[in-house]
Amino acid sequence: MASTTSLSKAEKSYIQAGLLANPPTRGDGRSAQDFRTISLQTSVAPLANGSARVSIGRDPHDGSGGTEVLAATKLEVESVDLGSGSGGVNGGRVMCSVTCSPAAYPHLSSAALDDLQYDLTTILNSTLTHPSLHPKNLTILPGKKSWLLNLDLVVLVDSGNVFDALFLAARAALWDTKVPRTRSVEYKARKAGGGGEGGEKGDMEVDEEVVSGFDTRQIRHATDFELPDYWDEGEELDGRDRWPVCVTLNLVPPAHFLDATLEEEAAIPLRLLLMFSFDSDEPHIQGMRTMGNGELTVPQLGELLKEGEKYARQIWQSLNAKLKEEELGRIKERNKF
Amino acid sequence: MVQSISTLKCASRIEILNEGGFRSDGRRQYELRSIEIDLSQQGHADGSAVLTHGLTQVLVSVFGPREAKMRSQTIHDRANINVELSIAAFSAGDRRKRSRGDKRILEFAAAIKSTFEPVIQTSLYPRSQIDIFVQVIQQDGGFLQACINATTIALMSAGIPMIDFICAVSGGVHSTSPLLDLTLLEENDVPNLTVAVMPKTRKVSLVTMETRLHVDRFEEIFKLATEAGQVIHGEMKAAILKWSKGLVKSMGHGNQDRDGGEVDEVGFD
Repeated sequence: MASTTSLSKAEKSYIQAGLLANPPTRGDGRSAQDFRTISLQTSVAPLANGSARVSIGRDPHDGSGGTEVLAATKLEVESVDLGSGSGGVNGGRVMCSVTCSPAAYPHLSSAALDDLQYDLTTILNSTLTHPSLHPKNLTILPGKKSWLLNLDLVVLVDSGNVFDALFLAARAALWDTKVPRTRSVEYKARKAGGGGEGGEKGDMEVDEEVVSGFDTRQIRHATDFELPDYWDEGEELDGRDRWPVCVTLNLVPPAHFLDATLEEEAAIPLRLLLMFSFDSDEPHIQGMRTMGNGELTVPQLGELLKEGEKYARQIWQSLNAKLKEEELGRIKERNKF
Repeated sequence: MVQSISTLKCASRIEILNEGGFRSDGRRQYELRSIEIDLSQQGHADGSAVLTHGLTQVLVSVFGPREAKMRSQTIHDRANINVELSIAAFSAGDRRKRSRGDKRILEFAAAIKSTFEPVIQTSLYPRSQIDIFVQVIQQDGGFLQACINATTIALMSAGIPMIDFICAVSGGVHSTSPLLDLTLLEENDVPNLTVAVMPKTRKVSLVTMETRLHVDRFEEIFKLATEAGQVIHGEMKAAILKWSKGLVKSMGHGNQDRDGGEVDEVGFD
């Protein structure tokens, strides 16, 4: 991925020398493992099923600077029909797309911006649409209708570390997503009248009418569905605890540091993206990607994985705490009335 | 406002104007929705504004005047205005992703550009470019109106010299009664037009209409819309003044720290 800011050789070596010094020094006075302040707000888009706004390093006083990402999910009904070409799959689909506002990259031409958008979309999409993360409640009518979950992210401002911000926003928006409750509708043909042929086998039919609730052989003939009117917007998305967080390790061998600014990103040879999920007892790596023209040895990678897990766990825990707090706040808000 | 969404969802036939003279979201005929203007800095932009008309929200960032990205776009005697519009896929009721080259988007961008060409003093910046990036975050009717108003504010916060404000408002007619500042619901049902006025010079820089409206009704609604433009102008002016006073004040603090001198109160009118 082409870096979006250009630096002179002198600037690059200045930033690198600072990072390699002991203790490492950075332009804004942070230590190597320090993040800028992250702020997060959920349910920001009233017309979406779930949404979040994340900013990393925004000045709380005048609101300037900082990377800013807006994420929202929208559910669409899709028919699962192989012939129709609508692309619906039994069990529903998840699709991500990233859009970059031209204001976020004022120096890029529109063709370069399209490339960048495509790159970001691919990384998000390949990580978040993995079968191991697939939510189970996207089916409306098995074999007929399902939900298509569209996750749209907009990069409003990029001041470095856009991947961490994108994944934070994606996790928060997906956590916030409510799937509308549906009720299937069945059209039953009237039983033929008592007379005629049926009359002779009358006794047998009575037996058949009593349908046991445990009868799994019964084939459901639901043809359509309706949305019952409920007080809430629906149930939460299944497996919302699983969505990964991303930690970007910026490498200046042998050192690494977190949450790079744009200038730092332009000065380093290699970045390593690690997507972790800590839902089960064992942490899972949901994705990994190196970026840049530097190189990395296998022992180094092992070391970085361990470190990365530690950082990602911290991000994970504080994000979960914030999401729970947001949810509690919303429940309180609702109970006021 | 919340009501307008819920009625949209169940898609029932709604009453545009009921017997009591109220609209679907509880407003009167000539009542405008609440306007919120946020002038805080957005990213690296030279000037930016977030403007909210009810549930419609638009973010505009202005860059420039600066050197054009493409040399071929420069004009030798004035600045080139470049407007790029993007609409968030989740901004409307049903998801729709429009690409940058979408005809509709280009059309709106061209409308915004031609609205601002007469007011920006482009001749002061020959061979340069002013970039206006419009990002629509939420839509609930009055989309063009919000874009134009937000652009005016953003251009001002970027310090680009302009002859006048441009204040836009949409209006429509329900049978014989005119309405102002339509929501999405009303826009779909009622013939409507958007008017952009320059409040000081009392000129009009944009009138667009995509529906059919009876000629006899046009004058009435047009007059109303120009009058509403004055009201919006008041709001925009108040926001700009508040923001620039804050700026002057903080500049004053800086000076005080440096040389301990007193700073004169700067008057605006």
